[in-house]
Amino acid sequence: MNDAQSDKVENALRRLLDANRVRRPQDHEAGVAAIVAEPRDADEIAEIVRYCEAEKIALAPLGAARTLGQIRRAPTSLGVSLARMARVVSYEPEDMTVIAEAGMTLGALNSRLAGQAQRLPLDPRAPEATILGALIGAAHSGPLRHSEGTPRDLLIGIRFVGRAGRLVHGGGRVVKNVAGYDLMKVMTGSFGTIGIITETAFKLRPIPEGYTIALAPFARAADAFGRAREINDALPLVHLEVLSPAVAASVGYPGAFRLVAGFAGNARELEYQREQLGEKLAALNAVEFADGPRALEVYERVRDFEFASASLAARMAAAPAELGGSLEALGVEFLAHAGCGVAEIFTSNELDSTRAHETVSRWRSAARAARGHLRLLAAAWTIRAHVEFFDQPSAGELKLMRRLKSTFDPAGIFNPGCFVGGL
Amino acid sequence: MLQWQTMESPAGASRSDARLSGLAAELTEIVGAGGVVARPGELAVYECDGWTIAKSAPDLLVLPRTTLEVSGVLAALERRGVAFVPRGAGTGLSGGCLPLHAPVMVCTSRMNHIVACDFASRRAVVESGVVNINVTNAVKSAGFFYAPDPSSQAACTIGGNIAENSSGPHTLKYGVTTNHVLGLELVLAGGEIVELGGVTEERLGYDLVGTVVGAEGTAGVVTRATLRLVREPQAYRTMLAVFADVERATAAVSATIAAGIIPGAIEMMDALIIRAVEAAFHVGFPADAGAVLIVEIDGLAAGLDERAERIARIATAAGAAEVKLARDEAERALLWKARKRAFGAVGRLAPNYATQDGVVPRTRLPDILRVITILSRKFQLAIGNVFHAGDGNIHPIVLYDERDPDQVRRAIEVGREILKACVEMGGSLTGEHGIGVEKQAEMPLLFAPEDLIVMSELRRVFDPAGRANPGKVIPTPGGCVEVAAPRRQAPL
Repeated sequence: MNDAQSDKVENALRRLLDANRVRRPQDHEAGVAAIVAEPRDADEIAEIVRYCEAEKIALAPLGAARTLGQIRRAPTSLGVSLARMARVVSYEPEDMTVIAEAGMTLGALNSRLAGQAQRLPLDPRAPEATILGALIGAAHSGPLRHSEGTPRDLLIGIRFVGRAGRLVHGGGRVVKNVAGYDLMKVMTGSFGTIGIITETAFKLRPIPEGYTIALAPFARAADAFGRAREINDALPLVHLEVLSPAVAASVGYPGAFRLVAGFAGNARELEYQREQLGEKLAALNAVEFADGPRALEVYERVRDFEFASASLAARMAAAPAELGGSLEALGVEFLAHAGCGVAEIFTSNELDSTRAHETVSRWRSAARAARGHLRLLAAAWTIRAHVEFFDQPSAGELKLMRRLKSTFDPAGIFNPGCFVGGL
Repeated sequence: MLQWQTMESPAGASRSDARLSGLAAELTEIVGAGGVVARPGELAVYECDGWTIAKSAPDLLVLPRTTLEVSGVLAALERRGVAFVPRGAGTGLSGGCLPLHAPVMVCTSRMNHIVACDFASRRAVVESGVVNINVTNAVKSAGFFYAPDPSSQAACTIGGNIAENSSGPHTLKYGVTTNHVLGLELVLAGGEIVELGGVTEERLGYDLVGTVVGAEGTAGVVTRATLRLVREPQAYRTMLAVFADVERATAAVSATIAAGIIPGAIEMMDALIIRAVEAAFHVGFPADAGAVLIVEIDGLAAGLDERAERIARIATAAGAAEVKLARDEAERALLWKARKRAFGAVGRLAPNYATQDGVVPRTRLPDILRVITILSRKFQLAIGNVFHAGDGNIHPIVLYDERDPDQVRRAIEVGREILKACVEMGGSLTGEHGIGVEKQAEMPLLFAPEDLIVMSELRRVFDPAGRANPGKVIPTPGGCVEVAAPRRQAPL
């Protein structure tokens, strides 16, 4: 979009919203949108959507602009910031459910819930910068997925603004509900391509009584993954990671591959698991435990690990038992959720477009060989145009996805061009 | 502007349609002689599922043995423009596989093989006609189980579970069907075979697997599924807590969960059910009890007794007269038998009964139970309650005699009133039985016309011609059954 077009859009939006809620992008936002609007409610978003459809203007939802900022090749015309839609709509501690607007951050929500010893146990990196809309839209997850699942497992209701500014809702505020089609699943991981999420309802979980982390070093990745599987079979761990040496070093444990196992429960349960892990991990290695605040500190460092210097970062999903072998064969740096068959991998090498393309192909082949797939999370600007961010679904599946997209976004305005199959 | 009423026009052929002529022979070519049933006497068996109000036998029943046969059958139906209804074991409770606007029924019961178990990755690939309990039976010796456990698990199929997004007592802790299905092989209405999802936990693109699970057979015929296997816990503790009334029992449920304990299951039975169950199974429930809770916790053996004691203290503080721990596996089995067969036991109290399925936020359980008591008096029908208290998922059982038309009318009416009250309290029309044909008329209580339009559109993404299980889920002028009698048998 050139400046004249931007001015036109900006002026039109100023007629829909107050002038001070239409602005130019800041920092990361510039990679996602040329202009940013800050609606206050779903009705305002509906008006924006109707305007954009009429004028064929592409738009994308915005939180901290990190998810899309790392994968969009060019900014859309309009970013719909959810910053002014950040309230808790209703919180019922005894029902263990919460409804919150999509612009609220996960961090802010969890601070509110902590007073009742409850949490929304979804833990992507930097929760204080992750809005609930992005959490759902990108299906973000972290170490706790091992025991608590991913956004699709905890989202029980949703509201979004779809094509023609339609206000749509699915699900509700009860934890068990099979009335109607599951619109929560349709929206989870849809990357803003179907509509703009305005409100989310979640079931919550208790914060465990006690929590401890066991850490053990391994010289070989295969040994770390083998041992991870053994302890996963023996104990109900809350999370289970294997870190490559560079990742381990950056969270404070240099020198080797590192197995990180979190476990929780009452005093007896903690004692038993500690004893078991001591036995199962200590035979070859120096096992180390972190308790209380120290455990939380280590956990947060693992959760928030970011490949700051990465030229390419990706999420590999595989059959859980085949993940370790794939990662070892690739020889990349990784943070693996070993029990889930999911790993974030990255390289800090400087890559030209040819090398970047080759690297992604190699990673993707490894993921497919392990019966999975690979999605890029971030690529340096210099190579972004030369790599495919999403893997290719099966032909039949892609056909259905195209039909879904054209049904729900016939004008093609919702975050176009950066999802599966170019959708 | 009720646009949605016109958006679903069932594309079924009417009976004695020319499009059906020679169809039996054509389908026999595909599935073999034993795979097509056309005789009215034999078809009568398939005239309903566990929801017995409306009955309608199909013109033809097809029993394919493989995905390719399903594909061949659906392609043949596509060429003739004939609609179909998929069916598993027919244990559904909302009329989901009633062949209302579909002359042909495609039954998956012969596709009952467990294809592969991968214990290292904790996955099983099964054909959709596999009976639920058989998955657990096949993986038990390796220390795993398949978590969703409907009370009909000895009969219901995985394909039916996928259609209804089924659950059971232990889904409080372990989640419902959609949390355990990672991949699907689906045959679309035109016969095209598509692979959705796979063995991984991460979705690639839109979550089509999650969209098909719970779509009540309207996306096509699911032929295979990749399931998540769950590790067996080391130990269980199963408790029976006895209360003078349901208020105290529900207070104990809330207090337990508020204390940060998520049991494997918390099931409640009220006085009427207790008496029926005691007469049938002699579990040792006190005859004067107003309510009992069956609470099961599982996990590591270490620390489990402490947790059980904590729950006992909470229940006692909430007013439990007595809390008993099952001493051994036999006592545990007896408690679960009492719970899972409670519906059958109720059969002794009245000639007929109708089971409702509604949901309220957990804290509204005392309120909905009070409403049910009032409605029971107003409509002069006895109503028992046995349900998944931890989830707020109620199952009021309305007793009546179908020989008395006025009782029948009142039984239907009281069911609707209960559902309305659930929705007014912030709940839902169904927690696990599905909408089917039973609750289509109530959908507008929960969803605005726009929501229903969006759902119709979503359905057409998978089945543009509307030939897969037409007339279900979303209300349509021609699709609704005029409900003349309430549902009878309902094993949960």
